[in-house]
Amino acid sequence: MTSRPKVLVVDDEPDYLKIAARIAAKAGCAVVTAPAALPGVALAEKELPSLILLDVGLPDISGFEAARRLRKVPALAKTPIIFFTVRSELDMVSEGLKLGAAGYVLKPFDPDELLRRIKAAVFPA
Amino acid sequence: MTLAAACLTSDPSARAFYRAALKGFRLKFYPSAAAFLNAPPVKGLAVIDSALPDMSGRDLAAVLRREKTTAGLLLVLTGGTYSPADAALCLENGADEYFPYPPDPRLFRARLVNLLDRAGVRACPPPAPEAYRFGALVISPEARTAVIGGRRLKLTALEFDILLYFLRNQGRVVSRTVLLEQVWRQGEQAGPRAVDKRIEALRSGLGRAFGSKLRTVFGLGYLFKL
Repeated sequence: MTSRPKVLVVDDEPDYLKIAARIAAKAGCAVVTAPAALPGVALAEKELPSLILLDVGLPDISGFEAARRLRKVPALAKTPIIFFTVRSELDMVSEGLKLGAAGYVLKPFDPDELLRRIKAAVFPA
Repeated sequence: MTLAAACLTSDPSARAFYRAALKGFRLKFYPSAAAFLNAPPVKGLAVIDSALPDMSGRDLAAVLRREKTTAGLLLVLTGGTYSPADAALCLENGADEYFPYPPDPRLFRARLVNLLDRAGVRACPPPAPEAYRFGALVISPEARTAVIGGRRLKLTALEFDILLYFLRNQGRVVSRTVLLEQVWRQGEQAGPRAVDKRIEALRSGLGRAFGSKLRTVFGLGYLFKL
């Protein structure tokens, strides 16, 4: 049996955590979640997900800093990261994409758009 | 003067289409939002694929339009999957034009040339639409009025702001927390129950036909789609 790809969702906002987790499950993925960046990094090291959905404005460290830390873990260095955030300033978007993000999705997001991006990241053509 | 355009697309067939339709233009291609944002031009025309590999064209257009340095860019979105309502939202959120892909080459070129012709007279970002019209419902952000069939709705300032926020984010699930962050005035103490109360009041104010378009998404928040 082929195991389902795993998606880690990191967001301190419970509603968005639920929405994103539901969408990832709809994409056919197993889902693990974390409510802050540092627990998210720890969970990523343990679970080695196929994709990480990462909020930017998190209570402990920023999503960008979390992404830098994730990149230093050899097993996660190439794991796609999609930032999903309300931060729409050009500098922020640019910084997120420069970190090698697979995507940058503005909140509130179109559920279909996030679904498409998750599928593209975990089931590349 | 040579006409120029930045073309954001990762699709080889779209690149070929632009080269053919915009023959004579000086074109610069960017395969992603990241490549474009590395050094975005501050003026001129940007043709943006609605589904870039790293960002939606709609989100990117909104980012570029809000930023002071890029607010003067002429933004044209192209895409194959957008419904008319999505296309309207692209235009309301900052795009100057929207074309389903592939557009008719002649029409595409003519509209782009006209846009560039007018660019010289546009020194500031386009104004927000004077009014949103959905059948009998007309909402005027400037006048801060919402009217159904000529009858002005009695909405509080906050209810009107909530309505505007939903209009600008149609089709997106909006959580209570985001509404509190984005719409409630700073310093005003409120919680999720206050949001629910205001939404109920807004629904009631909008009447049965339009109030029903503001749906509760159980456990998540609200979704508004006309």
